[in-house]
Amino acid sequence: MKQKIFIIAGLLLLIAVIGIMFTDLFSGKKQEQTNPYDYKMGEIRKTDSNQTAYTELLTIKPALVEIHAIVNGDGDRIYVAGKNGLEIYKGDGKPDGNFSFEGVASCMAIDKRGKIFIGIQDHVEVFDQIGKPAGKWKSVSPESILTSIAVSNSCVYVADAGKKIVYRYDLNGRLINRIGEKDPQKNVPGFIIPSPYFDLALGKKGELWIANTGRHSLEQFSDEGVLNSAWGEASMAIDGFCGCCNPSHFAFLHDGSFVTSEKGIERVKIYSPKGEFTCIVAPPSAFTEGTRGLDLAVDSKDRIIVLDPERKQVRIFVKK
Amino acid sequence: MYIVRCTSFFLLFLLLPLVTLPIQRFPKPEFETNYTQPSTQIPVPRAELLAYLDVLVLLVALALVSWLVLKKRSRLWVFAMSVFSLAYFGFYREGCVCSIGSIQNVSLALFDHSFVLPLTVLLFFLLPLVFTLFFGRTFCAAVCPFGAIQDLVAFKPQSLGSRLNTVLGIIPYLYLGLAVLFAATGTDFIICRYDPFVGIFRFNASFGMFLFTGILLLSGVFIARPYCRFLCPYGVLLNWTSRFSRRHLTITPKECIQCRLCENSCPYDAIDFPVTDKSPESRPLMVKKMMMLTVLVPFLVLIFGYTGSRMQDTLAGVDYRVKLAKEVMALSKMQDAKAGSREPGAGSRKQVQDDSFEIKAYKASGKTESQVYSEASAVLKKFYLGGWLFGGFTGLVIAMLIAGRMLPVYRKDYVTNKGRCFSCARCTDYCPIKS
Repeated sequence: MKQKIFIIAGLLLLIAVIGIMFTDLFSGKKQEQTNPYDYKMGEIRKTDSNQTAYTELLTIKPALVEIHAIVNGDGDRIYVAGKNGLEIYKGDGKPDGNFSFEGVASCMAIDKRGKIFIGIQDHVEVFDQIGKPAGKWKSVSPESILTSIAVSNSCVYVADAGKKIVYRYDLNGRLINRIGEKDPQKNVPGFIIPSPYFDLALGKKGELWIANTGRHSLEQFSDEGVLNSAWGEASMAIDGFCGCCNPSHFAFLHDGSFVTSEKGIERVKIYSPKGEFTCIVAPPSAFTEGTRGLDLAVDSKDRIIVLDPERKQVRIFVKK
Repeated sequence: MYIVRCTSFFLLFLLLPLVTLPIQRFPKPEFETNYTQPSTQIPVPRAELLAYLDVLVLLVALALVSWLVLKKRSRLWVFAMSVFSLAYFGFYREGCVCSIGSIQNVSLALFDHSFVLPLTVLLFFLLPLVFTLFFGRTFCAAVCPFGAIQDLVAFKPQSLGSRLNTVLGIIPYLYLGLAVLFAATGTDFIICRYDPFVGIFRFNASFGMFLFTGILLLSGVFIARPYCRFLCPYGVLLNWTSRFSRRHLTITPKECIQCRLCENSCPYDAIDFPVTDKSPESRPLMVKKMMMLTVLVPFLVLIFGYTGSRMQDTLAGVDYRVKLAKEVMALSKMQDAKAGSREPGAGSRKQVQDDSFEIKAYKASGKTESQVYSEASAVLKKFYLGGWLFGGFTGLVIAMLIAGRMLPVYRKDYVTNKGRCFSCARCTDYCPIKS
């Protein structure tokens, strides 16, 4: 009896195997067509809420049609530039002035004297605080796409995503030198900038930092163009920079920590001055999927000001 | 032996969690102007020298196992060799190239002259057959990793009896016929497609595949070596060859003393018992049987051949070119229906997705509908002839089985069934005559 049970069990299992093979071969049933290379971002967009150390304090809605650049000026005045104009807001979000100009501003900086440097496509235009033109610099190349400006006491740094290079000008717009130029003879690889997001900023001590987005790194250069240090890691994880090319923008807190923003997986994070991940300012869930160009600024109280071009908002984040 | 087998089985499953974990890779792109996109990399085939090393290992293993079976008559050493084969041909070589699958390569090379058959594959196909022709199925005994892995789980093997063995024994012939048919027509390598153990050897089995293997191995607990006995298409060729083997394993090294100790020793029902009480059949009865067979054999060949040819559509339905033609036709009908402002797909019950991978690939290929149909038509013609041959072969197999049961058999001693015996040497342990 026991033997029969074993035989029947064995036979049933064997028949099941043959049945599976036969059915699979002749049923003509199509296998579920799922793309194995489908880029599933859902899980990657999730973050640990305990890592989010900031909360949104204030939202400003500029009247500009498009907004692309933000900067924090004297007295924590917030300057927002975009298509055909610039708007100024006080730290509490109240309007404090505006002016118009021709073109789409892609980047902006303000010097200590209050001069506003605005990058418009392939050249820089300079305005005073009331919008009076104070200069229009010569275009370097028609292929130029200016994406970032930073001003020190003696010079102006301009990032050109089109030519994948940083220009160093004097305050009057005279080109001093180029930084990060590709030079195969000296084995200088140049910047890898796959998309028109190429940011630069001055650190705590006035040192120049440039986002080499294709390498997912932030690199520190001397004024002569010598690479001094770099950090950054490509990763979908929260402590790395995701996608083809990130961080798209960055800024500095007063202790020298980096505030970075990314596209692809929209997130704003803080890294220590050594480049170690510290916390999240705004997780991907805080943004509309597909948002790009989250320009950043930091005010005197280390409040983080995020420009959200998708929602056309200026969003201010403070520590919880 | 039982403890050794249990330990080996346990160790085997301890290895299973060592599945390669997927690593989230993120290659940094390089979009520089002068950058040239690398061409798609095809996995490099095994170096030629190493491929010949595999052949050498196969040759040595076959020779060693043949010696162990025929000269040493040692089950323990044969078992040790099967563990080695499982490790080398199974886990190290990941079940490829294997003699079982090589049937398809050889078939395709015979029917499609553009297909180049590597010498190593041909050797993998031929060497076990040559050894079997001389020494019996020593390949099955301890060289084939499929047999080795099944041997590890045969904990409660049951005797199935002669009739059940005969009926189930037809399946490998059908599998062989289909495998050759599909390979020869360039349709599919179904032996590889339904290879139950490759997922385990490579540690990459999907859940469905793992379940499939699990069911087969579970059945192997009660029916020893179910794949080898009732599925393996290469086993059919080995069975045929082994019948003519010059030196085959014998249960006893000398004369059988009819002690009956070996009667239940074979878990594969491959020991033929003495048939002594059967009186010789009368001449008229023999003539009658022969006449019956003379009619029956061609009748079965023809009737099954005709049935096979009528199954042309079903058999060809497995072919990817025919499948595509069906999809293109359904899509075309659907579009016609839409153009005629009728309900989409009203003309055909079968809906088709116009964004399926196959349709996308077809659209991208630039082929016309008529090209797709003419390709499918050529395949259908092949399957008409193939159906006849497959059906005829099936009919012949059934006729031979009937003939085998009709014809009288006389046997004095307990002997191994040369066709079915895997030369595992289990029975030798039971024989009291040792030299």
